[in-house]
Amino acid sequence: MVNYATAAIDKTSVMRGLVSTKRVPLGSEVYNRLLETLYDEAAALDERRFDDWVAYLEQDLIYTAPLRLTRNGPNKDRDVVRTMKHFDENYGSILMRTGRLAKSAWAEDPPSRTRRFVTNVRVAESETAGEYEVVSYLYVERSRMDNPENETISAERRDIWRLVDGAYKLARREIIVDQSTLGMSNFAIFL
Amino acid sequence: MLHNAGLTLSDGTTLDDLINRDMNEVSLRVMNDKELYELEMERVFARTWLLLGHESEIPKAGDYVMRDMAEDNVIVSRDRSGEIHVMLNVCPHRGMKVCTAEAGNAHAHRCIYHGWAFRADGSFIGAPIEKEQMHGSKRSKDELGLKKARVHLYGGLIFATWNKDLSFEDYLGDAKFYLDQLFCRTDNGLEMLGPPQRFVLPCNWKIPGEQSGSDGFHTLTLHRSLMEGGIMGGTAESIYDTAPGMYGVDLSVPQGHTLRCLEAAQTFKMFADVSFEGKSTEERLNLLPPPGITKDLIPQLFKNLSEDQVKQLANIPPQVGGMFPNILIAFIFAPRMDGGASGALSLHTYVPKGPDKVEFVNFIFAEKDAPEDVKRDMLQNAIWSTGTSGTIEQDDADTWPQIMRNSRGHMSKTITLKYQALHGHERPEGWVGGGDLYPGFTKDDTQWAWWMAYYNMMADA
Repeated sequence: MVNYATAAIDKTSVMRGLVSTKRVPLGSEVYNRLLETLYDEAAALDERRFDDWVAYLEQDLIYTAPLRLTRNGPNKDRDVVRTMKHFDENYGSILMRTGRLAKSAWAEDPPSRTRRFVTNVRVAESETAGEYEVVSYLYVERSRMDNPENETISAERRDIWRLVDGAYKLARREIIVDQSTLGMSNFAIFL
Repeated sequence: MLHNAGLTLSDGTTLDDLINRDMNEVSLRVMNDKELYELEMERVFARTWLLLGHESEIPKAGDYVMRDMAEDNVIVSRDRSGEIHVMLNVCPHRGMKVCTAEAGNAHAHRCIYHGWAFRADGSFIGAPIEKEQMHGSKRSKDELGLKKARVHLYGGLIFATWNKDLSFEDYLGDAKFYLDQLFCRTDNGLEMLGPPQRFVLPCNWKIPGEQSGSDGFHTLTLHRSLMEGGIMGGTAESIYDTAPGMYGVDLSVPQGHTLRCLEAAQTFKMFADVSFEGKSTEERLNLLPPPGITKDLIPQLFKNLSEDQVKQLANIPPQVGGMFPNILIAFIFAPRMDGGASGALSLHTYVPKGPDKVEFVNFIFAEKDAPEDVKRDMLQNAIWSTGTSGTIEQDDADTWPQIMRNSRGHMSKTITLKYQALHGHERPEGWVGGGDLYPGFTKDDTQWAWWMAYYNMMADA
């Protein structure tokens, strides 16, 4: 294991937003289309239309959620730990998960009622033509059973969306959750 | 009627009212009672050995991680001589956390409040402005160190206790024969693959705790999706006829540790055609290595374990179980559809955070000497099955809070939990290990043994 206590500073573990400097401005056609896609994706998940959601996913998808750790001093910004994850998914494992949700997945049967709020969307052109870095903030309210208190989660999502046959498809998503100890009972929902 | 008057709550309820040893029933009230919870902190969690992590997390001098012994926050650190220490993360000056990070490296921990400083072994260095002697004159520096727990390393796992008397050997008891097969089987032992996943569930620690007492039966229904996914031997339609994974040898020891020993060929579809008839232990291991073991590591098993231990690991390995009070063991086959390395090694602790909250801490391992691609697959297997997003444990994490919700009802809490499907101790022919053994269909015996360990600790004032 990489010693997360003492490892030299790894740039990939320093929290930051967009990497590319080729910004796609707010209000541009590409930005608007991607924003619309993020809203549509959130609606598909909130409405539990998993087939529709999977249709947004590329087959080379990498979908992960690294751990956050509370760090201090010289390590204070090295709080994203990728040696361990809450999600470590590929296209096949996502199909396994959505397939399970269609059958006896008691964690979501009866289902949660969810609202995904997607904001602070920033877009830039990636090095590969037709691919865009899309960074967004995500806030999820999850209502479970008769519990009057929702479980919530806030996160930043760092995505690569790829233009395929005139539609944007998700090729990469890294979910940077804000809690080191999650207040959500499980991740039986997608983020 | 058995009698033990060691515990009486303020309303007159006794431990025997809560845990009926004649009927093998436990009142649902035990899951939601503040008074009982405070007694558990004193009589169980301050008295027994608790799992905090693994030495592979803190390999270098000064490395530390922050962990919890029930609601007591502790620093787990390695000093200059390589020794591991566990001490309260409470400044003896004004009660501030001395260490504010979950992990790092420091040869001295200096409290940010007034600057009292402590070495990696917990000893007091001093307070700022030495000439003014700001630690006072009534206590010597020797008295002002961080409060230390006793530490024991077992297979590299870091255990600690506040109990001055309980030896680790007495804590393990006859479970050692079986646990060695999981934790002490290779030359360089286990490696933790990253910091633990942590999440909080709104339920009492004993709800996941008693399930960790080797509840095998719930697999058929709560984890029905395992059958539907085609991993277990059987389909969703035939699960009650074939009952995959339900037959094996369950075992318990009086300390409350329990295990389920399962033959892979009887449990998982992918192994169903493997014939062990007339095969030697070594041939069996090569045909089907136990979870987490690669063929290259098989010679190490013979080196580190007794012949009897290797034989059991080859034939009917311990796969799931628990260590009292709050550890779950899942060293399981995790068949992959893509042909990758099959096996997931997870340990959980269910750390009490109040009568109605528990922190689920998921530690994920591989053998240190396993190839990197195997470790990579095993990490992914463990994430897919266990912990935060694990498709098995999602369902557990959603069930336990609903039991908790019921424990609040005035009438509901009078309902008793039933542990009456009992097999009774029966030693299978040729079985070598100790403990109480329950061969055949998994029943309630081990969970009742878990409650008896709880009863005995709680009754002992």
